[in-house]
Amino acid sequence: MKRVIELIGDVSTPYLVLYKSVLILLALFLIFCLVRAILGPRPADRLLAVNMMGSITMVIIATLSMLLGEGYLLDICLIYAAMSFLAVVIFTKVYIGVYKEEKEEEK
Amino acid sequence: MTGLELIRFILGCLFLGIGVITYAIEIIGVFKQKVALNRMHAAGMGDTLGLSSSLIGLMILSGLNLNTVKMIFIIVFLWFTSPVCTHLLAQLEVTTDEEFDSYCEDKTK
Repeated sequence: MKRVIELIGDVSTPYLVLYKSVLILLALFLIFCLVRAILGPRPADRLLAVNMMGSITMVIIATLSMLLGEGYLLDICLIYAAMSFLAVVIFTKVYIGVYKEEKEEEK
Repeated sequence: MTGLELIRFILGCLFLGIGVITYAIEIIGVFKQKVALNRMHAAGMGDTLGLSSSLIGLMILSGLNLNTVKMIFIIVFLWFTSPVCTHLLAQLEVTTDEEFDSYCEDKTK
């Protein structure tokens, strides 16, 4: 317990404790998502892990904006949502196109 | 911290906790399932329920100001984009899987 309090640091208000513990938990989940992206046998698994990491990162940015009291970090969160959506769409479209081309060349 | 502020803090904690627990269930499901399409089912949960309830908790904690409106925009945006992402990933999996027909039972034939 003492180790956890040392990790969180300043515990003067309950808001700080809440935000920092949420941040630490979500960072742990991010590491597990990375493990899934490395292990995943199929390309769909890897893209799925990237998508999950995107949504967890959005929550981390929103929590950080509340912790620091900076509203403009939420604009970055909105841009991050758009970019992570675009990345998944482009990767899937390119991968399906390349796969179909290779299939036709084999024939 | 007394009265109304305490109630607000407890409500915000509750919603943030639901979000974090949903993410934990998502991670467990992604590691437990054996087939990629089943993993997609577990991962679709975090995009909608996890992010929505976490941001609703942060909205309650922040009170009514411009940040709340931005968080509502993020939730609405995710409502539209997350199903499209999951659909495209499922399409990728079905297209690239060579042995898809062997473990997918077709009842029409």
